[in-house]
Amino acid sequence: MPKVNAQAWDLPIRLFHWLLVALMGFSWWSGEQHLMDWHRRSGYAILGLLLFRLYWGFVGSPTARFSQFVRGPRATLAYVRSLNTPAYRAPPGHNPLGGWSVLAILAALLMMVTAGLFAVDVDGLESGPLSDYLSFDQGRSAAHLHGYVFKLLLALTVLHVAAILFYLVRMRQNLITPMITGRGQTIVAEAAETTTAYPMRLIGGIVIVTICTYAIARGFRL
Amino acid sequence: MIQARSLHTTLIIAVLALTGTMAAAPAPTPESVIDARHAGFKKMGGAMKAMKEQLQTDAPSKPILAASAQIIAATAPGQAKLFPAGTGPASGIKTDALANIWTDRANFDAQMAKLAVESGKLVTVVASGDMTAINAQYKATGATCGGCHRVFRADT
Repeated sequence: MPKVNAQAWDLPIRLFHWLLVALMGFSWWSGEQHLMDWHRRSGYAILGLLLFRLYWGFVGSPTARFSQFVRGPRATLAYVRSLNTPAYRAPPGHNPLGGWSVLAILAALLMMVTAGLFAVDVDGLESGPLSDYLSFDQGRSAAHLHGYVFKLLLALTVLHVAAILFYLVRMRQNLITPMITGRGQTIVAEAAETTTAYPMRLIGGIVIVTICTYAIARGFRL
Repeated sequence: MIQARSLHTTLIIAVLALTGTMAAAPAPTPESVIDARHAGFKKMGGAMKAMKEQLQTDAPSKPILAASAQIIAATAPGQAKLFPAGTGPASGIKTDALANIWTDRANFDAQMAKLAVESGKLVTVVASGDMTAINAQYKATGATCGGCHRVFRADT
């Protein structure tokens, strides 16, 4: 039972999204400028965001949950076919195709961050905090993987923006404003249930994620 | 181990020097020269990594620091000689060496000479055991690597 003008995206999801946009840009820039202290910090922040997003995918508000937006191939195909029909109605939250896009972007980002954690630069001078567990050559391979996944992320980002433009122009559906204001279609049935437990889950998640990120950033040398 | 490596480097230099003067001797192929310089740079990169791992601990291992500094100092002087004409990107062989090494040769050679000097200093400073000085000289040596790479190496 979708309803217009309710909370479509909760505040943590919106913060996650826009912080990720900013940090991806900053990571690219700091990497290009060889500002490796900043590049590492930016990577740790992205790692924290990703861990939080995975956690929030299980306990967040309905539209944030994997169980709500991860659909099988049949549902996805049916959705794609429905796009061209007059009866098309935008589903609340992530649509089935967008759900797969979310998973692809999260997987690519996790690969990117993991490769970065193990990467060693060509001088053996700058490295990720987990590179001590690898040889120089293995660390160089991680660095190369970091470079390949960057191209993959660029491609996924282009696809993401293209899809938003497609919905805006072709489907006359603005996906950008809801990601800023949070207002849009949502699943009302479960919303009331989740909002009560929500502050404790949020604080708990932030604490867990901060500890995990700190431990990884220190290379588990605590 | 270290002596064997420096002997190996000396041999390569000797071979190159000989082929330069003796027309009858077979010239090393571009592939073998590129392989040799890759091996040299990887050896130095590995030594830099080994030093870094020690320097970030509370009690760095003096023998590992000394051995690693020695590897860099022994390898560095020979590397500049492993960039003969015909081993650049135009050779078609996989290399990150940029063409300006050969058009801006004096600058490249000066950078390589600087590495030899800085890595020599690194050996001396490590032997002194002064951790502050070791850290500073490690950074100075690393800055020489990075400074040259930014100008003369493809940023991949």
